[in-house]
Parts: sequence; structure tokens; C-alpha cells
Amino acid sequence: MNNKNFFGITDTILFLSIICISFFGLILLYSATNQDIDLVFRQGTRLGFCFILMFMIGSININHIKMIAPYIYIVCIFLLVITILWGHDSKGAKRWIVFFGFSFQVSEILKIAVPLMLAWFLSLDEDKNFDLKKLLFSFLIIFLPILLIIKQPDLGTSLIILLCGGITIFLGGIKKKHIAYLLGSLVIIIPVMWKFFLLPYQKQRVMTMFDPTSDPLGSGYHIIQSKIAVGSGGLFGKGFLNGTQSQLEFLPERGTDFIFAVFAEEFGFIGILILFLFYLILIARCIHIVGNAKNYFSKIIAGSITSIFILLIITNISMAIGVLPVVGVTLPLLSLGGSSLLSIFIAFGIIFSVNRRN
Amino acid sequence: MRRSFLDFSRVNTEKLFEKRLSVLISILLILTILLIGRLYFLQVISYEHFETLSETNRIKHIQIPPRRGIIYDRNNMVLADNSSLYSVEINIKEATNIKKIITAVDEEIGLTKEEINIFFKKKSKYSHHNVVTLKNNLSDAEIAKILSIRYKYDGLDVTASLLRRYPYEKITNHVIGNVGYIDKKDLSKLNKKKYKGSKYIGKTGIEKYYENILHGEPGSKHVEINARGRQVRDIDEKRPSPGQDIHLTLDVELQKYMYSMLSDYVGSSVVMNPKNGEILGMVSVPSINPNRKLWKFSVNNDEEIKKLKSPMFNRSINGLYSPGSTIKPIVALNGIQNKIMDPEKEYYAGPYYQLPNSSRRYRDWKEEGHGMVNMQKAIIQSCDVYFYMLADRLGIDKIENFFEYFSFGEKTGIDMPYESFGVLPSKEWKNKNIGDKWTKGDTVITGIGQGYFLTTPIQLAYATSIIANKGEIFIPKLNKNLKIKKNNKIKEREFFLKNNINSDDWEMITEAMFKVVNQKNGTAYWTTKNKKNNIAGKTGTVQVYSLSQKTNEREKDNIPDHLKDHSLYIGFAPKENPEIVIATIIENAGSGSKYAAPISNKIINYYLDEIRERY
Repeated sequence: MNNKNFFGITDTILFLSIICISFFGLILLYSATNQDIDLVFRQGTRLGFCFILMFMIGSININHIKMIAPYIYIVCIFLLVITILWGHDSKGAKRWIVFFGFSFQVSEILKIAVPLMLAWFLSLDEDKNFDLKKLLFSFLIIFLPILLIIKQPDLGTSLIILLCGGITIFLGGIKKKHIAYLLGSLVIIIPVMWKFFLLPYQKQRVMTMFDPTSDPLGSGYHIIQSKIAVGSGGLFGKGFLNGTQSQLEFLPERGTDFIFAVFAEEFGFIGILILFLFYLILIARCIHIVGNAKNYFSKIIAGSITSIFILLIITNISMAIGVLPVVGVTLPLLSLGGSSLLSIFIAFGIIFSVNRRN
Repeated sequence: MRRSFLDFSRVNTEKLFEKRLSVLISILLILTILLIGRLYFLQVISYEHFETLSETNRIKHIQIPPRRGIIYDRNNMVLADNSSLYSVEINIKEATNIKKIITAVDEEIGLTKEEINIFFKKKSKYSHHNVVTLKNNLSDAEIAKILSIRYKYDGLDVTASLLRRYPYEKITNHVIGNVGYIDKKDLSKLNKKKYKGSKYIGKTGIEKYYENILHGEPGSKHVEINARGRQVRDIDEKRPSPGQDIHLTLDVELQKYMYSMLSDYVGSSVVMNPKNGEILGMVSVPSINPNRKLWKFSVNNDEEIKKLKSPMFNRSINGLYSPGSTIKPIVALNGIQNKIMDPEKEYYAGPYYQLPNSSRRYRDWKEEGHGMVNMQKAIIQSCDVYFYMLADRLGIDKIENFFEYFSFGEKTGIDMPYESFGVLPSKEWKNKNIGDKWTKGDTVITGIGQGYFLTTPIQLAYATSIIANKGEIFIPKLNKNLKIKKNNKIKEREFFLKNNINSDDWEMITEAMFKVVNQKNGTAYWTTKNKKNNIAGKTGTVQVYSLSQKTNEREKDNIPDHLKDHSLYIGFAPKENPEIVIATIIENAGSGSKYAAPISNKIINYYLDEIRERY
């Protein structure tokens, strides 16, 4: 294998597809932010930083990553507590902490830290069956950060982390019996959550997903405008910088949550298929790496990362076309934002590191 | 054994992992395919639906109001036109905090308390408009100041609009009328499509009557707007077609002169060309400056205007007055036509007239009476007793019937809105409106134009033109290009008047009216020194307050102003081939010969000597 290439780049095709998509993300951002070139430069700088980080992680031995996994997890939990205590307020929620002038969303990192911790835990005694003790510990690992994130409050991200953790324990071999029990209890828990834990704005978001026209100027506005943007893109799109929904600012959160709508409006259905092709190449390479992974930890973490990556794409796009409520998930590699970008590149760094050992 | 078991187990967990991974990836792949299906539905199948939604999002249809037609007088002097007006406006729907915007505007250009109050009044009154004006008539500096802060406040804007301007202000106010904000009442009647971008509509006078011609057809344009409603660029534009200009028959020089003659009084004067019905001048006093009314919006708070007596009331077509002695020539014609009285025969006219079996004395204005008078002398000296007698002999039915030929009690048909009918009394009228039987006494006082008889100045001018024309009728009009075809009713009337009254009798009546002004004992003899225009006229003095039978002259001077007599005058000149007809009413001034007659004769002389000369 061409694994000892350059820095941590152990798979050229994967690397090139990451480069292609993220570079295209910058171009798309230029359109989404009404030609705000400064903002694009800032994002480019972040991207450069993330690439360097990815190289660095990629060149670490995966066993070393396994060794430090619990410490990463503990640091993240610590940072979450700090966020809740001294976090930065935004729209009534404390989600950010400020680090040397950079604002940082710890919950984004947990999308990768939780699977990492679980993979470490499950590979401690990898030969043993997935018994109740394993299940309880896994739950502890998943729910400790989730409870802290719900406290912020940020229900969307907690749900995503729950899914990320769920993916890892599913791959880790959770018993079918337990899956059935868990799904069964969800049926009971969801109505209770709805009644006692959801804040009114969260309920509103879910409700408007089912009927966006019920509140066309309030929370339904985002979904309606986003669907219009996507739909009016048609087969070939309106062309770069010609999307009226995005350029005339009918579309909200264009750089972050709804960047897919900008893309769909300007590049159309054909453009989406091409984008999906790039994503497919990237994912196919990841699966290939998973298949070649030499140890259990590598397999679990690389498999989780690959699945989570697909899950995030599906969630973001579903959000943009009104299939899922607006939960604040970015589109991997395309959306504006530092923390989510960071966690994605850490994840790819781990993938490269896994491939190194193959 | 243990190791092999472990090995076996290890293989087992890895196999499980691979199975699990393929299940998970498959599920995610299926979800992705479903998502692509959904995207296909949105972008390809429902494309047109969303395309339309996206277009309606960004494209706004804007109505462009047409330029209102200009109103000219007969010599192309501008009586009403449009001037650019810049105003600060607030779009209620777009504005997030109206109070904040007002404070900001106040800091920049200063607003009076009144302007702010009016803004909120307008906001509630014209709630169907999204855009409400905050301050009008901005200076260049003020425009620049507002434009510099505009970007900070959604909904704040400076707009240019065309404001109606009336250069002759008070002088032409009642006849031209004015435009005003389209209110909810107008909105229920008008073509909403045509007025979508318009702010003003003709409310009174010519502006109202010719609204359809003056308004024009609106244009429209499509503009691209962004999410905040700001216009980004124009897409296409259909230019509005301006309203048609109107040329009036008015002569503004004459109008100015008439206004200057009347401005100290309360009343009205109407000048008409008897040869074609063209109104040359039409003045109603008091009057207000219509420009101020438009800018300040509220006239009701203006102290200066409050002091005036009904300044908004157009006395020329709505003021109802007893015609008084001015109708005596027509009563005389009535007598001739019905062959009730021989015009040449002299009757004794004492100080009063009495009906048989009644003690009531119908007194003459001249205490000692006129002595022996024939019809012509009775007109010249305005002998009341002669006409009491004539009316008594005619009876109300004949009088009513004959006066209809002069169009009393009905609209003249002038091209002005809201013209009043006046009252031509009859038995039926009294029964219906007063609920009482007609008496002979009612007939007697009708003979001198008192009692229930009510006319408007335009009616008097119209009737006078029929006398001047010796039976030929021209309906009064203000629009020079208006072609009035005489309808059958008018033709029948002309036929009747020409065939039932012979030219000698017409001549006798006009001669009598000529002598009113030109013979030493005529009631209007002294009212003009300039006799060369051969003016014929008739004075009238209308009692507002019925003096008791025994009141003597000295007490008359003590009655309050509002109970003083109305002063009336009708006239035409020259006697042969008349070119001008006038009817003037001065309210609560005194006798006709003292006020209305000299003013009217000055107007006639001014027209014939100064204005007519120039043509």
C-alpha cells in the first residue's frame, strides 16, 4: 500500500476527494454569503488549519490514538461543564466557549469523541459478548455528555450524539434483544419527553416540519424558503451566483444549516448528483479502509466515522428539504463553521491513521 | 483450548462487525436513495410550482400613478398642475419599530408635534395603505439627511410624488375644486386597478367632475426585491399614460377681477357668455387656499379658516337664495304670455297690496308707493305692488309652469358635481315639503321672488341668459371642448318661448331692464357711470328677516348682520346682441342696488372694456 506517502496522507483518492469537496465548499460559500470574500478567506484559513491537524493525526499511530481516547473524552466532558458554567450566550443557549479569541462549540467535537471513547471501551475486552455490563457502561459514556448538552440547551446536537454513539455500539455488536428493548422503550420515552422536556421552540420546530405553512413568517419560514430554493433549482440550477432565493436573502442561515439549499438552487438536480458522486467516492474509500483495518479498535472507529459521516449528510439535506426538523446539523465539508469542520477533519485524520497501520 | 476459543471468539466479533457494518451502510444507502427520490420530486417534478413561488418571492409588481391632467383657462393660463413633492414615508408593514424611526427622523430634520399626531391619525384612517406620509414638502438638504439614515431602518423611505398645485389659490378654489387623499368611501366606488398607485382623487369642482379624464391610465413595473423588501433592480416597465388636460371656458383675468370685487363679502357671482353658455367667471366667497389644505392635511385646526363663514361651500351652485325682485322680468313675461295683463295699461300702485277678505298688507319697498305704473315702469322702479297683483291674477300653477321654461327648481346641467336643485314652489311642493295648503298669500309673495322660491346663482345667470337671448337656451358649461347637443326638452322650451312671446314683448322687457340701469329713475341707475356698454339689469333685495308690519325704517339699521338683506343683481350687456350675462348675490349686505349691482356692473364693464377688447 502507498501508506508511507507524505505526512499522514495514506490514501490519495480519499485525500483528493476531501480537497475537492472542501475547496468547492469555499466557492459555494462565496455565493452563500453574498460574495463576502473576507468570510471565505477566514473559512479558507480555518480549512488550512484543519488540514494540518488532519495530517498530524494521520501520522500518529492508531494505537496511540486508542491510548489517548479516554483522555480526549474526559477533556471534552470537562469543557462541556465549563461551557455550561461560563459559556457564551447565543439566542438563550450556552453553546460556545471562547479560546484565545476563537469561539468553540465543544458539543461538535463530541460527535467524534463519544465514538472514540466507545471504541476504546469496547475494544478493552473485544472478545467478550456484548453483555449487560458493557451495555450499561456504553450508556454511561453516551448519556453523560448528552445530559450536559441538553442542559445548554441544544436538543438537536444531543440527538445527533445519541445517534453517533448508537452507531458505534451497533457496530460493536450490541445484542439484537437489547436493540429491540431499546426501540421499545423509545416508544414510551418520546411522548414523555415531548410533554415534559421539550422547550416550546423545539416543539414548534417539530410541528412546523409537519406543516410549515402554519407559521410561514416564523419558524416555518426557514423550511418554506429552503424548499422553494431547492425546488426552483430544477434540473440544471439557476447558475453560480444566480440563485435568487440565496442572493436576495430569502434563504436564512445560508452559510451553515441551509448551504445545501444554496447549492441545490444554483446547481440543480444534476449538480446534486455530481456532489453525491464525490461523496460516494469519499465514502467508498473510507469503507475500503475499514475493510482493511487490522485491529478491532480501528475497525470500530473507522466504521463509526464513515457511518456518522453519511448520517450527517442525510440529516442536513433532510433538514433543508423539510423532511426532518431544523436541528442545526451542518453539511460535512461544505458548511461554514469552525467546530464542526474541526471534528470532521479530526475524524478523517483518524481514518488516515487507521490506514497507516494497514 | 482457551486461546483457540479466544481466537474463535475474535473472529466471531469481527464477523459480527462486518455484518453490522454492511447492514448499517445498506440502511444509510437506502435512506440516501430515498433522499435523491425526494430531491427528484422537488427539483424535477414540482419544478414549476417552486419556480413560480421563487418568482413571486423576488418580483414585485408596482403601479406607477399617471400624471394628472392639467387644467387651463380659456387663454391657456394654468389653473391646476402638478409639482414634484418629496416626502418622508414609512411603510407600516416593513417597519419594525415605527416610534424609533420617527425619533430618528425627528433628530435629522425635526418634526412638529402636529406632524407626528397627523401621522398616527393617517395611519389609522388610511389603514388600507401600507405607506403613510410622515412629512411632506422636503427641502434638498432634508432629502439628503433622510437618505443618509435610510439604510438603518427598514420601511423608511423618501418618495417623490406629484402634488396638485393651484396657482390661483383662493381665486379659483370652488370652481376648480381640489384633489384629496383617496379615502375608504372613494375606494368603494372606484376602479381599484386604476387607482392602485394613486394617492389623490378629485374631491370637488372640476377636479371631481372630470376625474376620469384627468386621472389617466396607470403604468406598472416589475422590480426585483430582496428578502427585506428593498428594490434591487427594475425588470420591466410599462409607462403610465398621463391624464388629459382640460381647457376651461373661464377667463382667469376676469375671475381675478371678480374675486377682488367680492372678496370683502360673503356671496357669489357667475358670469356667462349667453351666446354659447360658456362660464367666463365663477366666484364664491369666502374661499380658502386649496394648496395649503393639501399640504397641511388638516384644515379644521386652522384658526384663520375657522373664522370664515362656510368657506368650503360653493355658493355658485349650492347657495340657495330667494331670487327677490330679479325675477320680476320673468313674471312680467309670464303675464304677457298668459295675456293676463296688457303691458301698456297703467295700474295704480299704492304703498301696499291687499288680498280680498284679508287684513294683511303686502307692502311695497317704497313707502309712499309708485303711483300709476305700466309693466315697463314697474320693472324699472321694481314696483312690488304691481307684481303682487300680477302674481295674484296669474295664480301659482301658471307661475310654476312658466318658470320651468327658465329651468328653475332643477339642475342647470353645468359640468360641476353636486349641483343644487333650488326650489320652484307649487301647491304640490308645499303640501309635500311643508305639509300645508298653498295660500293666495304665498302666490303674492312668489310674484316678487320671496317666500319659498329658492335659486342658485348659476340658475339666475342661466335664466338671465335666456332673457338676454330672447328665448334661445344654452346650457352653461365650463369645459371648452364639451359639445352640448340641445335635447328635446331644451328644444321644446326654446320653441315655446319664441312662439308664445313675440319679439316686441321680449324687446319691451329687455328695454325695461336696460332702463333699470340707464334711466334716471331706474333702481340701478346710479350704480355705474360708464353707460356706454348698454347694460341691462335688475336688482333684487331679499329679506332674510321678515320685518313686522309696523317696523319703521330707523329700526332696520339696528338689526344684526346675519339678518340683513341679501343683495342681488342680474344683468347682461350690451342690450343688443349681448356678450355677457351676470348674476351676483352678496349675503347680508343690504339692498341690491347698493352692493350687488355696482359690483356686477363694474365686472361687466371690466370684461367688455378690458378683456373683450383684447380678443
